[in-house]
Amino acid sequence: MEMMEKELESAQTSGLGRRAALLLGGAAVASMALGRRASAQSSGVTDTDILNFALNLEYLEAQFYTLATTGKTIDQIGIGITSGSGAAGGTVTVKANPMVPFSTPLLQQFAQETATDEQNHVSFLRTTLSTNAVAMPNIDLMNSFNALAQAAGLGSSFDPFASETNFLLGAFIFEDVGVTAYHGAAGLIQNKNVLDKAAGILAVEAYHAGSIRLRIFQAGTAAESAATAIATTRATLDGTGNDDVGVGVSNGAATIVDADQNALAFSRSTTQVLRIVYGGGASGGAFFPNGLNGTIK
Amino acid sequence: MEQLQDFIRRGLSRRKFLAGAGCSGTAAAFTLAGCGGSRISTSTPPPTTPTTPAVTDADILNFALNLEYLEAEFYLRATTGSGLSTTDAGGANAGIVTGGSQVPFVTPAIQQYAVEIANDELAHVRFLRSALGTAAVPRPAIDLTNSFNAAAMAAGIGSTFNPFASEDAFIVGAFTFEDVGVTAYHGAAGLLTSTANLTAAAGIMATEAYHAAEIRTLLAQLGGNYLTYANQISALRAAAGGGNEVAVAGNAIVAADSNSIAFDRTTNQVLNIVYLTPPPGVVKSGGFFPDGLNGTITATTN
Repeated sequence: MEMMEKELESAQTSGLGRRAALLLGGAAVASMALGRRASAQSSGVTDTDILNFALNLEYLEAQFYTLATTGKTIDQIGIGITSGSGAAGGTVTVKANPMVPFSTPLLQQFAQETATDEQNHVSFLRTTLSTNAVAMPNIDLMNSFNALAQAAGLGSSFDPFASETNFLLGAFIFEDVGVTAYHGAAGLIQNKNVLDKAAGILAVEAYHAGSIRLRIFQAGTAAESAATAIATTRATLDGTGNDDVGVGVSNGAATIVDADQNALAFSRSTTQVLRIVYGGGASGGAFFPNGLNGTIK
Repeated sequence: MEQLQDFIRRGLSRRKFLAGAGCSGTAAAFTLAGCGGSRISTSTPPPTTPTTPAVTDADILNFALNLEYLEAEFYLRATTGSGLSTTDAGGANAGIVTGGSQVPFVTPAIQQYAVEIANDELAHVRFLRSALGTAAVPRPAIDLTNSFNAAAMAAGIGSTFNPFASEDAFIVGAFTFEDVGVTAYHGAAGLLTSTANLTAAAGIMATEAYHAAEIRTLLAQLGGNYLTYANQISALRAAAGGGNEVAVAGNAIVAADSNSIAFDRTTNQVLNIVYLTPPPGVVKSGGFFPDGLNGTITATTN
């Protein structure tokens, strides 16, 4: 089974500079030496831009989990998807009858809990952004998974709503990416209160990811292999080739945590996140066939 | 401990604490050199008020390092029977560790989870020590025996609790730490002044949340007495640490508030928990740290 092994530093003497630079990206390196918070002015990105970027991703997650657990979209259960100024939200492309046939009560409970969490994240971000909130863009939860399965070498199609294991793998696609997206954005946020909330959402996405990855581990080697293929594909799509760990066992240790050799969760730039959720497309594709809404897309 | 039990009986209501107002001044800098190592500036900006000196990034990262020493000792002893090396513990000035022994794992998967977490906490110790350089504090004295017994008494579990006795007890022992780590890093994030430190702390926080989720999931799946013990520990932490807890259940794997945002804890709240002594009053040691933490954030201020 091929696996993305956690790299082992041969010596600690090289220090953390290189790894930190890899984590933070080129633009942040200059500010590291000065010890100042990366300035949004220098990058042109505002807190509103960042929260709207996050909101797009939360719309995606919330739709997936809500459809999986109830068969309904979030707007059908009263969560807003219009923009803060009233523009209509997009459509969701998904198969008919997407409710997952859960047979494991504990998994069903967790799926429902996660759906509630992502709905709450959508609602919280929309409230925080107020009139600046973007509408939900068009979301695809059908063709996207098929394309991702092909890219990962898992076959010509993949239906995350078909079974409990498939649901876990579908969820797996999103959660680690959510962690890396919030982690990457943390250093760009200017307002301390916004930062506190974003860090709190980051932690919750990591809780989700940890529980999902544990359950995939428990589901056995076939599920682990599929998850590892997905992790490999994510790392390939984002251009790094090395920022995603599969699920399995390495040197007697499980790989439940998706983290680097310092046991820090990975971090992705918005560009890297978009490459994954667009399935490699330049301005849209896969989960967002027409791209995200807002400034960062 | 009687004080703590009284505290629980008063039924503290759950509140969410935001991170503190943040430190003033940006002179304290955490620099990650482009190559060849990392340094923390240990200079402290002059106080802007006559009362409280500003907390530096080094102070906060050292606070975190103390907690990582505790977690690393617990998990390393649980998985190998031995703790941190003298080097990793900070040399000759490192405090003594009492207790801890190799857990008699019978389920390979649980042993594999434990080994991974042990690897992670060791990596966190090394990361923080490397980033802090000469400013890194050594490991303080740590107690893994009397502490868990005291926690068990205060929580109503019994007169003793040995988290090293079995793999199920180990999972409860692990639970004692992980959610606290998340809330501690979350609370600290807003106090850090440099982007590099903030990003690193966020990365460690996320890993602690991965750990917390897997432990909570295992507990929910285990059910029975061990789930009950864990939730008794959770109630104890809530009493000492200002609420900021959610009991573990099949539909409560995540510990978060009504917005599904993870809790923050202040350093005071974290100290009250790890010293196993609730507020009010100045507390400087106790529980897992019989001689207190090392560094500057070592005593509660409430």
